[in-house]
This record gives sequence, structure tokens and C-alpha cells, in this order.
Amino acid sequence: MSDGAGATAPKPSSSVKLVLLGEAAVGKSSLVLRFVNNDFQPNKEPTIGAAFLTQKCQLPNRTIKFEIWDTAGQERFASLAPMYYRNAQSALVVYDITKPSSLVKAKHWVAELQRQASPGIVIALVGNKLDLCEDDNAEAEQADAENETEEEPSTARKVSTKEAKAYADEESLLFFETSAKTGHNVSEVFTAIANAIPETSLKGPRSGAGGGTQAAISAGQDNNRVNLNARGEAGPKEGCAC
Amino acid sequence: MFLQNLVQKAQQLIDPAVLPGPLGSLTSSDRPSKAQLFRHQFRLPDTQNPLYEITAELTLPGKSSRGGGGAPKNWDKSNWDRDRGTHYVGQLHLSEQFLCFSTVNTSFANTASTSASSAFTGRTHGTGPAGNGFTLPLCAVRRMERLHTQSYMFALSVTTWNGFDAGGEGKAGAPSPPKLTIQLEGSRQQCERFCDGLKRGLRQGIKEVDNMRTVAQECYSEYFMYDDFDVTPTPEKPDGTPRTPPDTGLGSVFKYPGNSKKLRDRSKMRLWHEYMKENGRNTTLVRQPDFHRLIRVGLPNLLRGEIWELSSGSFYLRLQKPKLYQETLVKHEGEGSLAIDEIEKDLNRSLPEYAGFQSEEGIGRLRRVLTAYSWINPEVGYCQAMNIVVAALLIYLSESQAFYVLSILCDRLLPGYYSTTMYGTLLDQRVFESLVEKTMPIIWDHLVKNDVQLSVVSLPWFLSLYINSMPLIFAFRVLDVFFLEGPKVLFQVGLAILRINGEELLDATDDGTFISVLKSYFARLGESAHPKSENPKHRAITNFQALMVVAFKEFEGITQHTISEQRSKHKGAVLENIESFAKRTSIRNLGPESKKLSMNDLGFLYDRFYTVLYERQQRSQIIQAEADRKQKQARQRASELVTGVPGNAPEMGRVALGPSSSQMDYDAFREFLAGVSKWAVTDSPSSPSKEDKSSNGYFASALRNRSASLSPWGAGPEPADHDFMQRLFKKWDADGNSALTLQNVVTGLAPIKGNRDIMSSIEYFFELYDDDSDGKVDREGILRISEALLFLSRRGVAGGLGPSSGVEEVKGPDGLPMSKDEQFLSAVSAFIRRCFEYADPDHPSRQDVDGAATGIKNLDVKEDDLLDLGEKKESDDHPLAENSTSAADDSVLARPSTNSFGQTASKNAEANAALDPSSPVHITLPTFRMLVLADETLESFFDSGFANSFHLADAPLPSSTLTSPSFLNLHNAAPSNSASPIPTISPGGPGAGVVAPGKGLRGMLDNIVTDGMRVAAEVKRRMDEAQKELDRGATTRGTEDEEDEEYEDHGRDLLDVAEADAVPERQGEAGGNLLDKDIVSSPTKAEAGSSAASVKSTGSTGMGKDVEKSTMFER
Ligand SMILES: Nc1nc2c(ncn2[C@@H]2O[C@H](COP(=O)(O)OP(=O)(O)O)[C@@H](O)[C@H]2O)c(=O)[nH]1
Ligand SMILES: [Mg+2]
Repeated sequence: MSDGAGATAPKPSSSVKLVLLGEAAVGKSSLVLRFVNNDFQPNKEPTIGAAFLTQKCQLPNRTIKFEIWDTAGQERFASLAPMYYRNAQSALVVYDITKPSSLVKAKHWVAELQRQASPGIVIALVGNKLDLCEDDNAEAEQADAENETEEEPSTARKVSTKEAKAYADEESLLFFETSAKTGHNVSEVFTAIANAIPETSLKGPRSGAGGGTQAAISAGQDNNRVNLNARGEAGPKEGCAC
Repeated sequence: MFLQNLVQKAQQLIDPAVLPGPLGSLTSSDRPSKAQLFRHQFRLPDTQNPLYEITAELTLPGKSSRGGGGAPKNWDKSNWDRDRGTHYVGQLHLSEQFLCFSTVNTSFANTASTSASSAFTGRTHGTGPAGNGFTLPLCAVRRMERLHTQSYMFALSVTTWNGFDAGGEGKAGAPSPPKLTIQLEGSRQQCERFCDGLKRGLRQGIKEVDNMRTVAQECYSEYFMYDDFDVTPTPEKPDGTPRTPPDTGLGSVFKYPGNSKKLRDRSKMRLWHEYMKENGRNTTLVRQPDFHRLIRVGLPNLLRGEIWELSSGSFYLRLQKPKLYQETLVKHEGEGSLAIDEIEKDLNRSLPEYAGFQSEEGIGRLRRVLTAYSWINPEVGYCQAMNIVVAALLIYLSESQAFYVLSILCDRLLPGYYSTTMYGTLLDQRVFESLVEKTMPIIWDHLVKNDVQLSVVSLPWFLSLYINSMPLIFAFRVLDVFFLEGPKVLFQVGLAILRINGEELLDATDDGTFISVLKSYFARLGESAHPKSENPKHRAITNFQALMVVAFKEFEGITQHTISEQRSKHKGAVLENIESFAKRTSIRNLGPESKKLSMNDLGFLYDRFYTVLYERQQRSQIIQAEADRKQKQARQRASELVTGVPGNAPEMGRVALGPSSSQMDYDAFREFLAGVSKWAVTDSPSSPSKEDKSSNGYFASALRNRSASLSPWGAGPEPADHDFMQRLFKKWDADGNSALTLQNVVTGLAPIKGNRDIMSSIEYFFELYDDDSDGKVDREGILRISEALLFLSRRGVAGGLGPSSGVEEVKGPDGLPMSKDEQFLSAVSAFIRRCFEYADPDHPSRQDVDGAATGIKNLDVKEDDLLDLGEKKESDDHPLAENSTSAADDSVLARPSTNSFGQTASKNAEANAALDPSSPVHITLPTFRMLVLADETLESFFDSGFANSFHLADAPLPSSTLTSPSFLNLHNAAPSNSASPIPTISPGGPGAGVVAPGKGLRGMLDNIVTDGMRVAAEVKRRMDEAQKELDRGATTRGTEDEEDEEYEDHGRDLLDVAEADAVPERQGEAGGNLLDKDIVSSPTKAEAGSSAASVKSTGSTGMGKDVEKSTMFER
């Protein structure tokens, strides 16, 4: 509970609710794990409904604390999604660039969010597993303009950057291709979202709660983060290891 | 919303006693049936029904003195030894295979009030819903004697066994279970009836003894009770076979969670040993108050699984089908499925911290149980969270035992939790929220104010039974009580968690803090609740114990009844949310064609599609239930035994409840069409149900008189069945599997409704009849097209946007204005004739543009042949030229306007050829198009009328049209004509036009229709004649003049012919429809019909049917 942050003049801090949506196995949990822990490993925690994590994102003039809801992948959990995207200020809609059907699903989620989520929600479309397409790996963005990637049989890529980008532009979405495995572009996605959230829509002091409460949350953040790094809301299974 | 009243209607129709199902499931939460309540109270399989019941007193032998030791002595004195043994007063119930006794005074007799049947859903005071007593499979009764006592009229002595000879007095073996003495308290007759039923059941029960042995051998109690406590287990049976303990889960290999010393496992085992010695075990167990107490303090490791089985009732499923688990695995060995893929992904993340699940053994068990369940209940398949629950079960249960417990969980204890829409989960979250709001308004207000959604926190508690939230040892304690007392336990515990953490939660203002408060609480469950207390006893109380106290004392008022009530209260809203979500998703997924239709129309189609599927399912279930009831089928299919599918039956098909059917067969398609197009409603309903529709009479009488009045079409209009509909179905059935998905329907309808392009709609229609897709429609097809046009127009055509949409009135030959419907009918009859006159002979040379052109230039000439009505285009010298403007893209039509009138004679020769069956003819699309465009009315039909005849959201069909398809609509459509009969309209000869006075428009239209039919009949007749002549070797037919003459002069004969024998069957059908529709379909029209009956034999037949039906109703 050390008020280290309080020693220097604190940057304004605000929390932003972010929800991850997308077909199962596109790498939602992996992206979050990369963002929160800078780690990539097989997913050991079962996700019941959605996993909750937080991570801070430092911008030059303010700190954004992401409250991340990583939704369960199984199709039938889709009907629970409204519970999680409700009041979200931002969403990461993820697809797998090696699986065209996942982009179709991603488009459905975008449409759903645009129609049902809070107006003004910032949506980022994220094509994950970029590492599987070695040819255009790191220089994907630059190289893509010349490279018609779908014509290259040597990569596992099945969704061209151009196609996805065009769609993203049409729907005014942020767009990134990432690899949770290598970490490529992952923090960029979150930073871009943080920057795109209009200052006015940031969760100010909650109604009636006042700034004091807000400060209290900020102070408690470091604690929370350590806690939540264990992923999910599941408690340690103390009794069972013996 | 749209299904809401359907649900209610369906529920009214369902006799609760007929359909089995779990209590507290959505199915039954509104009105659980007595049978459901009965099964639920005694944890019986869905095959069991309450057959007899009687008040009785149960006497158990006195507690043997050697039990003393550590046994709790705090028995309820009132129940304790009066004279000899323990007495319990309660109800004795008999089902097909079980004898049950409970001190809970429930009654399931027909005469019992609902509260008497559901008494157990109230407070359970820690006894569990079944109260004290027993649930005894009849096969466990070894002997039953009637006691001859003076004081008791009817006293039975019941000797029970577990399938093996009991030990005792030096003989090895488990002790015999207690002898039950049951004194029946009722009239002599009641007692005798009960005993007779019991005797029958006992005889049947003999068959089950083998099953009982199999199952008992897998029970740890059977092994455990073989020896006294505190001695080393006997290594072998008297016959020398070794005794090995049965499988008690992974825990026996990988250790059970927790420190068994701290959990005082051995003391608990001792208490259970004592208890079972007195009260029997597995099949013969009798529940006394200690049973419930021993569960509340936590079950010992080795007996935990078995007691779960008994208290949840999965034991009785296993008893009925002990081999189902193995058989299911064998049956599906090597098969793959989506569920299996999904299971595979989660195997490594199911309690990975437990050693057993770091081994192949544990993973293998988990895989097999989940897979087997996905096979017996494919509707649920596999849902994430089941992996965690089953993993936890497998620590204490064998694979097979876990399999049955999983069945009970999914079907009964957690209804709808794991379904494909997870409606049960969402509903219980809503219920939980409302309970929080009620019991802890301050916390609730705080949550609302801070916009924290409770369910994101509590959902995993319910979905994984706290296993994923609490340390395992505590989660298992919750499970112990949950299996005994039911789902309400989950709510009580959840409320207690919030209550205990209330203060901290009031400081939390966002999801994150909220979650971490609870998380740290769960981590501290094993710590002292009062660490600073002076009193060591208080210090010893753990947070978990405190939690249990709050849950079951403070929230004692939360009963199963509360939960059921709340579920039915919120069900509608929750299902609606899911449905609107599903609808949005589904509509977005309909493919590119769907973009041609408006959002409203798509929404309408979606609703209509699923409503039809839903209603049909409801009806078939009701009908099925009725049939079942009649047959008194006591036993059901094996799969139902475990899955309890019928339990979920009454509402299956509702979108939010998960997929049942999402495909429409042809009958469903007909019903679908009947709801959107008036032409798809039959003219001669076979169901009498409509008669009765006034007020609530339909349902009231349906209940009384169900078998007689249950229409296969429900309350909606009965659909017609016509060649056109079959063709439409085939065309829409793009996948060729004789079933339509919503996508098929939308894709099929989009070109009709969405294009607004006359050329493509003509083509669409043509293709419907071009069976082999060779661009030609043959003679048969032409007849069918004509017939279809008559069929589609027989209730009038909603004209609309076409060029002929009456700016100026079209006049009939008598100078009176014609209604659009009249125009249409006349156009169709002209079309039929032209088709045959201008059809191309089936020679390559005639298939070219010339052929079409030759036809066209003769159109005007022959315009008037059949009906004077045809003279409606006096002003159009060159109708084709005009039409070609609207069809500019069609060069075939554009050309011939220059070289108009050809030789009539040759043309007629061609026409003759067309009628000559020896030379096959066809029309091509260009010809067809030309024929359509040549006629303003038909043009308008294809331009808009056809599309408009499908009423979707943007122009909903008035319900009156749907429910009473009758001529009333035509009156509405053309009110100005209704008063002015046009008797001279028919050219078919003097007699044909005679219309009974007062028949007005209807009679006139009948005549026109008859003409149309007559033409078709004539064509057919000529074909037949030609054929005959051919057969006789004749080579030529009469001249064209004779032909025409015949047309004109023999009208009467033709009419007769049409109605007698020469008409091909389908024409007869169509004709019949046309003629009797107004008589049969609407009671108000029956009178008018009877006056018309003199003209039409079909009409009077219709009348006759009508009369017959109404007498059926009087009975
Ligand atoms: N090669 C590669 N594999 C990935 C990447 N992200 C995730 N995966 C793998 O994809 C699978 C599904 O990932 P997961 O995060 O569980 O997906 P979720 O269902 O969307 O949460 C796992 O096997 C991951 O290891 C990536 O960027 N590159
Ligand atoms: Mg995931």
C-alpha cells in the first residue's frame, strides 16, 4: 500500500473497460497474457464466462488502467457476451489470419457491438498469429502494400491484410496484425486504444463517489495487479495440492 | 415476446400429469406436474409416476445398544422410541419400481392441492427435500409379510436386502438392513388397493435384482460394512474370492484433497459405519435425522461419492441401466464430433493443480465421461465448465458413477445451465440478482450506483458449483449439501458470501476491486472467522463454517419454492433477451441474398420461421403425450431414462432454449407459407378446430376433447397442398436434403420479394416449371403453370405497382367495371389458351426467335376467342410495342411489333400441333415471357402481384385473412362489384352463366374460374382424343373451324367433362378447391354455399363434411 505513485505529481488516471471477443482459439487469452504478463504459454486456467484482468497503460499525459474481460471461446458462451460488453468503452475483436471463418465471426461481433454496445465504443480489429506467416512477419505492414499476400502459397496466411484493412476502414475500426507468440504489435494495440478513447468518455469519478474514491482505487492498483496476474477470478486451490 | 403466448397456450394444453420433467426446470417452473414433484422429492428417474399413496407409520427397530460410542445422542425425542423402535408418521408412496416413504407430508394424488404436492419445496430444516424416510427400489424388498395384529388393520413387515446374504453370528458379510414395519392408515379398501399395487410391483422387481447386485458391488458401503469398523478388512470372501475395494475415484490413487486428519475423516467414517449398521446402505438406506447431520458436517472421502449418488438420485438411474456408460462408449468408439474436439481442448485445463489431472489416467477418465455424456445428450454436447465439474466429481466417483451424476446435474439440478444458449445460467443469474436486491438492498444499490454487474462475478460460482472459486475442500462441502437439498443451496451460499463481505464490497466501486475482495475472501475460507476471540471455541470456527451458518440459518427462507417462483417470474425477460440476441446474430448470418430484403422483412421471416417450427414441435409433443398417456407407457426409451429429454420437452423448440430443430420439412413449409400468403391456405380444411374458436373455447374444449380436436395445424389456418408449393419447396431446398433452413427460406424468397424486376420474376417462375433446366417447359408444365396461376389468384391478387393498377377502370363486356380479380381470372384463361396455341413444337427449327415472333403477332387476333372479357385493350393496337418498353431488354419482344398480323390459318395449324400429343411441344422462356408481357394483368402479376402475395413485415397480412380464408376478402377487395352481379359474363353457353340470384360476385367469379378450368380441361380432352385417334390409326383431326366451333358450342359439355371424369386428377383437385373453398373454410359462408350447391357437386360434398364435423364437436 506504499504510496509511491503519490510521491511524484500523479498523472491523471482513469480506468477503461475493454472486452475481447472473437472465435474460439484465435488467441484472445494469449494476447491478454502477453499484454499483462509479457508471457506466452499454454492456457492453463479454464475460463468460465470470462476472465478478468487489469493492466495499466502509460500515456505521456495520463495513465489508463485497462479492466479487461477476456470472454470464453466456446460458441454457446456468445449469449453471455452482452453481459461483458455492456458499458465497455473499448473492444478487441480478434481473428486468426490463418482462418478466414474467424474474420467472418469477427465481423459479426463488430456488427453486434456497433448495434448493441455503448455508443462511441472504440473497436480494434486484430488479426492474430502473424508469426505463422513468416514471409511478411515483422514488416507486414510495410511489405503488404506491394505484396498480394493471398497469392503467396508459401505462407499460412488466409486473410490478406488488404482485405481486413479495407473492412476496418469501412467500419472505422483500429486495425492491427499481431502475434501473441512473439509479442509483435501487442502493446501497440492497447496503446492505440488508450489513445483513441476520447477524454470525455473516460470514467471520471463515479457519480457520487467523488475523487477521493478514485484516488483510492489508483492507490490500490499495484496490489491488485499482482493479485490479478494469477489470471481469472479463480482462487488458489489450497486444499487440493496435498 | 412473439413466443410468449405460444408458451402459455402450450402450457394450457399440457396436462401436467402427462409430461415428465424436472422440478424447477424451466419446463416445469410455472406448473410442475405432480409426477414431477414426486420424482423430484424422492430423486426418482423420469420413468416413475406416483401410482398409490397412503398415510402410514414407519417403525424402525430400536437402536442397538452397542452403537453407543461416539454416536450423537441428540435425537429428536418426539420421534424416539415410544415402545419399541422409532416411529415416523408420513406418507407412503408407490411408483412402478419404488416404494417411498417420507415424513414430509406431501401428496401427489389427483385430488391433492398444489401446495400439498409441493410441500417439500418449502423450508427443509436441514432434512433435504425428501425428509426422513426411504426411497426403496422394489427389487430391494426381499420379503413382505402382512402382520396379523389386533390393533392394526394393515401392518406390513418389509425385509430388505442389497442383493447378498447378510452376515452376522459368525457368518461373514455385511449386516442385514433394518426390518421395516409399516402400518397403513386408511380405509380397508385403500389399504388393499395399495397392497395389490405393491404386490404387482414386487413381482416385477424380481427382474431388477441382477442390476441391484451389479450396482451394489460398486458401492463402497457394501465393501465397508462387510467388517466391523476398526478391524482390518477381510481379504477374501468365504468362497475364497478376493475382496477388493470398489473404485472410489481418483482420490484413492492420487490422494483426496485436504488433510484427512484435519478433516476428521476417520471419525466421520466411524459415524457412518454406525449409521449404516442401523439404517441400511445403498439401496436399502433409510434416512433418519442423523443422515442429514452427517452430510452437513462434510462427507468422508470414501463414502462421499456414494452419498452424492444417493442424495442426488443418480444412483437410481444407474440402477436402472447399470451398463449404459460402458455401452455408450463402445457404441461410439472411434467416432468424432464437435463436442469431442471441444472437450479435447479443455482436458488440460480442468483442475490442472490436482495431481490426478496431471496424469494420463485422470485425463483419460475425464475425456471418457465427458464424451459419453455428449453422446447420450447431443443437445447439450459439451459446455465449458462441465470439464471442471466432472473433474471434481471424478476425485470421488468412478467414471460410471460420475456419468450418471452428470446426467442428473444437467437434467435436473442445473436445468439449462449447459445448453447451447445457456439460458438456465442466465436465468439463475437474474434470479440471484433479484434475491440480492430483496435481501441486501444496500449492497444492491451500491452495485447499481457503481455500475458493477453482479453476474460477471457470480456466474462462475453457479456454472461450476463454486468448484472454480473456492478451495476444493470447501467446494466439496457445498456440493455435499447441494446434492441433498438441491439448487437453492447455490443461492443460499452466494447470498451468504455477499452478506459476509458486505462492508468491503460497499467500498468497491469497480469490477476489479469487487472481484479481488471476493477472491481474497475465498482464499481465507479455511482461516478462523474470529481470530481475535478470547474463546478458543470461537477461534476454532473457520470462515467456511461461518459461511455455512449464514447460508443455512440467515437465508433459511430461500427455499426451492422461492427459486421456482423467481425463475418463472424472470423467465420471459431472460428468454427474450437471448432470443433477440440470437435473432440479431442469425439475421446477420443469412448470406448475401438476404441483403435484398429489408431488416423488417428478415426479422419477420425469422419470427415466422421459428414460430412455425416451435408450434409444430409443441403440437407433436402434445399429440405424442396424448398417445403415450393412452398407451399408459410406464417405461420409456433408455436414453430418456438418463437424459430426461421429455423433461425439457414442453418448451423445446424455443430458440432461447437451444437448438431443437432449425430445419423445416415440407409440411412445416406449407404451414409457413400459409402464414404469409393467403393462397397457401387450404380451401377445404380437414380440421374442425376452427369451429370452436370463439372466446377461449378452443383451448377449453381442446382440453376436454383433445383427441378429437387437436388439429395438426394448431390454431393457424390449415395450409393447402399444391404442386406449386412443392415446386417452391424444391427450389428453395438448395441443399437438396428435403429441409429448409432459415437461410434457404431467405435465399429462396429474396429473388421474389427483393428484386422488383419483372424479368427475373418471370424467369423465376419459369424455372420452377423447367424440371430438367433445359430452358423448355413441356405441355404438362404449361398445364401446371396455368393451374398454378389459378391457384395463386384464387383468392384475388393484390395488384399494386403494376402498370394496370387501375387508374382507369377496366370494363367487362357488359360495360360494367371489372375487378382486378376478374381481370386476372380472365387473363389466366386467355393465357392457358395462348400457351397451347403458341407453344413451340418440339422441333429444333421451331425453337428459334421466329417461333416466338410468329406467336406474338397473332396474339391480338386470338385475343377474344374464349372470353369476351378479353376485350379490354381496345386502345392497344400494338400492345407488344407498348409492352416492349417495359421489357426493353428483350429483343425477342422488341422485334415483331413491325410485322404484325400473320396467317391465322397456319397459326391455328400450329396450335393444333400443340394439342397433338404425338408431337411434343414446349414453351421457352422467351415465349413465356412474351405471353406474360402481352397481358397487362399477368404482367402486373409478375411485376408486383406475385411478390406482394407474400406478406412480410412491411405489409403484414391482416389476421382475419389468416384465420378465415374466405370470400369475404374478395368483397373487401372489390366492394363496388359485390352489389352488381354480372350474369352475362360467361361465354360458355347460355346455361353456364346462370347465376343463382343473390350470389353476386362470387357466382360470377366462379364462372370465370370454371371457364379457366374448362379450358384446361378442354386442352386435356383434346389431347386425350388425339391420343385415342392416334391409337385408332387416324391421322388428322378436324379443321380449325371445327375446333373453334367446338370451343364455342360445347361449352356445357366441357363443363360436364371437366367435372366428371376427363379432368386430370390435379385439375380436379384445383377445381374442387376453387369451388368449395368458400363453403367449407368459413362457417359464415356455409349458407351461401348451400344455395350454390345445386350447381356444384363438390360444393354439396363440402357441405356434407361440414355438417359431419360439427356433430363431432357436440359429442
Ligand atoms: N502461432 C501462434 N499461436 C498462437 C498465437 N496466439 C495464440 N496462439 C495459440 O492458439 C491457441 C488458442 O489460443 P487462446 O489464447 O487460448 O485463444 P482464445 O480461445 O481466443 O482465448 C493456443 O494454442 C495458442 O498457443 C500466436 O500469436 N501465434
Ligand atoms: Mg480464451
